[in-house]
Amino acid sequence: MANQQQESHAEWLARLAEESKAKQEKFMNGIAKRLGHPRMTSAPAHPYRGAPDFWKAYEWTPEERIQGFTDNFLSVGGHVARLESLADAAAFIAGKAEEMSARTVLRQDDPALAELRLEETLPAGASVSVWNSDDESQWKTVAAGADFGVVQADHAVAYTGSVTVLSASGKGRSVSLLPTVLFIVIPVERIKTRLGEVLTTFDETGREGLPAGIHFISGPSRSSDIENDLTIGVHGPGIVYALLVG
Amino acid sequence: MSGPVKGGATVKARAELALNDEFLRKAVRFTTERLRNGKKKASEEHGNWEEWRERGRQIRLHTIAHLDYYLNLFVNNARANGVHVHFAETAEEAVKLTLDIAKHSGARSVVKSKSMVTEELHLNHALDSIGVEAIETDLGEYIIQLAGEMPSHIVIPAIHKNRYQIAELLSKEAGYELPPDTTALAGFVRKKLREKFLEADIGMTGCNFAIAETGSMVLFENEGNARMVSTVPKTQVTLMGMERIIPSWSDLEVMATLLPRSATGQKLTMYMSGITGPRRSGDADGPEEMHIIIVDNGRSLQLGDPEFQELLNCIRCGACLNACPVYRHIGGHAYGSTYSGPIGAVLTPSLNKNIAEWDDIANASSLCGACYEACPVKIPLHDMLVYLRRRKVESGHGNKLESIGMQGFASVMGSAKRMSGIVKLGKLGQKLVAKDGEIRLKLGPLKGWNTYRVTPSLPKEAFRDQWPTLESELRNELREMKPDMLERMKQVAERQKQGGGGGHHG
Repeated sequence: MANQQQESHAEWLARLAEESKAKQEKFMNGIAKRLGHPRMTSAPAHPYRGAPDFWKAYEWTPEERIQGFTDNFLSVGGHVARLESLADAAAFIAGKAEEMSARTVLRQDDPALAELRLEETLPAGASVSVWNSDDESQWKTVAAGADFGVVQADHAVAYTGSVTVLSASGKGRSVSLLPTVLFIVIPVERIKTRLGEVLTTFDETGREGLPAGIHFISGPSRSSDIENDLTIGVHGPGIVYALLVG
Repeated sequence: MSGPVKGGATVKARAELALNDEFLRKAVRFTTERLRNGKKKASEEHGNWEEWRERGRQIRLHTIAHLDYYLNLFVNNARANGVHVHFAETAEEAVKLTLDIAKHSGARSVVKSKSMVTEELHLNHALDSIGVEAIETDLGEYIIQLAGEMPSHIVIPAIHKNRYQIAELLSKEAGYELPPDTTALAGFVRKKLREKFLEADIGMTGCNFAIAETGSMVLFENEGNARMVSTVPKTQVTLMGMERIIPSWSDLEVMATLLPRSATGQKLTMYMSGITGPRRSGDADGPEEMHIIIVDNGRSLQLGDPEFQELLNCIRCGACLNACPVYRHIGGHAYGSTYSGPIGAVLTPSLNKNIAEWDDIANASSLCGACYEACPVKIPLHDMLVYLRRRKVESGHGNKLESIGMQGFASVMGSAKRMSGIVKLGKLGQKLVAKDGEIRLKLGPLKGWNTYRVTPSLPKEAFRDQWPTLESELRNELREMKPDMLERMKQVAERQKQGGGGGHHG
């Protein structure tokens, strides 16, 4: 029965795809007609691509980037710790686990995070799971139940105080989203000055190389929807630590 | 957009209702002022704002001028990423496609993040009609959904509700009494919606930008609910206006510079997500099936129209609402449509192509140009409002007195093309009728306007040079607020001053 249903679902999708392709031509021809030109099939020259030139030349020194990132992250209610090594980062997380009585910690499957050896450093009673490390677990549910999520930033941007996390099989989107408290390990050399320095890498990578999820995170989840009063931790993590390592 | 319009058939009637609600009036003024100041601060701090605006405008102009190329590129790339892409020429088609997807997914509930397009389509109502529960998950949207109302501001939909009203609504939902305390109320919503996210079969999103060269879609938000709906449910459905396209990630830097600063005064929203197709085969989260429905619904009518094509450049930041003296007086509901404020006044009749029915929104404007000054992509909204009025008269929907006035408008527009000329004309003409700084004459070309509200005489200096006066007027009004409310808002303002950045909405 399941098989038959799946088939019909696939058939339905195939039918929609056919309809969509037929409609695509009509849709695009309609647009071209209204714009008053023949259908454009090759890329037009785009003289205004990206940020203005003066901005592309803007750059901070490494120390300015660390300072800028820190100031921005603090200004939106995030926390920042400057640490010398991954061992210090592990000790910092363990200290917070003690302080907040964290029982469940979920980390990405990432060599640098394995190096934290959280299993050994966390206080007794706290368990560590590694995202997608077996096929049986309901990983989204594990993430939703986690007190701490631990991720490593793929990029960081000083000017906006943002980190970028990219999804992969071992790097779930849920790990930076569902736990109550989020720790982001940021090797300081990954901090760039401008947003554009990170964004242009996705153009360079191209479609086929992009992960399903690219997430820029600039602090704790927040809202001012009730009487303009700032509330932290509405849906995403309300407590976010940026751990600057190096 | 022939949706439910509450209380009063015309903008005039609805505005009168809104003006009678003291809380609404003051809350709208307070919020718009706060957001406007946040934008001012953020744009000044960033610097070279005019260069950024111009760059933003050029990118949008370029993309729309070659929309057949870029949209087609986006569609092909999104398909290559494994996305099921669909086209809807009308609202009805978009609704039909969505319901078809919901039925085939066996969906019982849909969790939604903020999307103006789904509001435009009245999608929640349609889903409800086939027994699918649609749950808004943006805090403000959730509140107004429980209240059964429409958003009154593009960025802060529940601008018109106070925390006592919100506590009452949420208590009903909870089944027990919640205190009128922001943290407690938001905490309840977090818990309640967590269950909904995990249960839902479909996550539905809008789309801030779609990147043609990689087929990616981009969402800006502060709460994390857009990430939730695009990460947790098995199926993702994205409703996207056909004009949301930008060519590349490099171009996104410009939009990411303009949009958050213009909307809330932030350097960047707390989350900016670029989603490129459904989950990869090894991934343990993200949607297994992803649909993008590309919606026309009147948008293509603007293409090739020299007066209105630039409407499609809009990035939906809401800055024109916060800048508009009329919006600040009457609030969003008075516009009676999905899109309010100056952008709504032009967009609604343009999308609907029925100027006759909606034209009185165009009259709810003082043509002062503050909307243009505020717009991060420099859309000449005040010019468009004049074109709209002229078209209404040309199509025979104007009244006779107004027609005489509009002939004047038409000849001025023909030669001078810009507001300055008209403003000068107005300054000249008003000498005959202005008394004590106000025009109360209910005769002649201003008749329609003056029965709606008292028109201030056109100032000797431009309206936008008079902000200091307006601001002191606003401050005086705020003093009349209830002391406890005022105190809370002051504290908020103080904290934000210290904390940097402006408001941070969902």
